Amino acid sequence: MLALARGDLLARYGRGPLRTVKWLLDPFFVVGVYLLLIVFVVHRSGPAPGLSLACAIVPFQLVMVTVINALQSVRTRGSILANMAFPRTLIPVASCVTESLGFASSLVLVVVMMAIYGVTPTVHVLWTPILVALTVLLAVAMAYPASLVGIWFPELYTFWISAIRTLFFLAPGLVALAQVHGSAATLLRINPLSGLFEGFRSALLYGQAPAAWQLLVPLAWAAGLLALFVPLYHREQPQFAKLASL
Amino acid sequence: MQASVRAQNLGIRFLFDARRRLLSPTLARLHRHVRTAWGLRGVDLTFEPGEAIALIGPTGSGKTTLLRVLARVLVPDEGTIDVRGRVGSLLAVQAGLLGYLTGRENALLLGVLYGLSRDQARAALPQIRELSGLADTFDLPVSSYSQGMMARLGFSVADSTDPELLLLDEVHEALDHDFRGVVAARAQEIRERGGVVVAAGHDHDALARLCDRAVRLEAGAVVADGPVDEIVAAYVG
Repeated sequence: MLALARGDLLARYGRGPLRTVKWLLDPFFVVGVYLLLIVFVVHRSGPAPGLSLACAIVPFQLVMVTVINALQSVRTRGSILANMAFPRTLIPVASCVTESLGFASSLVLVVVMMAIYGVTPTVHVLWTPILVALTVLLAVAMAYPASLVGIWFPELYTFWISAIRTLFFLAPGLVALAQVHGSAATLLRINPLSGLFEGFRSALLYGQAPAAWQLLVPLAWAAGLLALFVPLYHREQPQFAKLASL
Repeated sequence: MQASVRAQNLGIRFLFDARRRLLSPTLARLHRHVRTAWGLRGVDLTFEPGEAIALIGPTGSGKTTLLRVLARVLVPDEGTIDVRGRVGSLLAVQAGLLGYLTGRENALLLGVLYGLSRDQARAALPQIRELSGLADTFDLPVSSYSQGMMARLGFSVADSTDPELLLLDEVHEALDHDFRGVVAARAQEIRERGGVVVAAGHDHDALARLCDRAVRLEAGAVVADGPVDEIVAAYVG
């Protein structure tokens, strides 16, 4: 699994000393685009908009790029699949490991945003490792259906990427849940990303423990997806060499 | 080392939808019109320790499919297969190599996927570099390699895992004269230690030098099995 992830990282960040710079700058560019949109285009500032946005973008990036990587994970390894037997159940997990290593640099961004906005960390910052673990778990859970969809319906690749992006806009990503009112605020909580975004904001921006729903909703989605798709993936993986290598 | 293969009524099936797109059995259940094509059907074979077998037949006869079953890459849809021994496979010239990685990085990745620990795979790198004869190009991206260089690297990686069942598919066509000698010597060593070598291709002279038995496949079925000279002579007419 680590060997596969290492290969992916080499492809993405290249070799040599510049790869660390690329790795560190990647999340700044991603958040920068949304920050310009939210602060200067739609003028929805709220408290510490950069940090609020980072609390959503950082976990979303991990989930999104894991899904994108997983959609192609089987086909890009078609030549290996056709040549040798190896534990294919780990392919979606390898996608997530790759992105988690990229995701680690995003945490620097959160620290920088806290410093810029003068947000003093409280004891509740200790929830961060749990929230990171929950994000990784949800990303792995979504990687299994994404891997299957990628091999069953490769022509729908761009559709699924759009679907994941839509999931972001159906969650309190650009604006915090506190700024959303009425039944929309309740409905948004069903989205597994909402709990993650608000959980990071609770721990890092508001200085409080995440609410139970912020942990339990993403956890329930992850458990449900894993329960449904891991057995299905396991049943399908003997067919991968036929579907991916021809 | 004792490697062997026993296949009984072996069948590999490919399913297609109305648009001739390959389907898995799960997806096929959701389609009304499913076309079935058998890559192999009704294959009974036994390979004993120390044998070297050439698979011959026209393109599409099932040679590669059979090698993939032996490599445990494909699972039978019908019948059974019992493969004993550690497999080293070179089922395409590219052999699972990723173009953006260097020869060294590919060797490390494939070594781990073959089941070596990271330390074992790393320790095998000098031997792979030496056997492949790639010298400094070992540290260049594989996308810059010729077909022959890829085949050399793929074979050297497979060989580093000390295979008991060596599978080669149309590899000879990409290899130069010198490296064909290396492959033949390694295949002989494997046989002498009780291993099995199975090679497929269209270079019948090269196959005859490597193997003493041949299996001829036509449309996914075994149509002849015997001494390599006789089977090849009957095939080429």
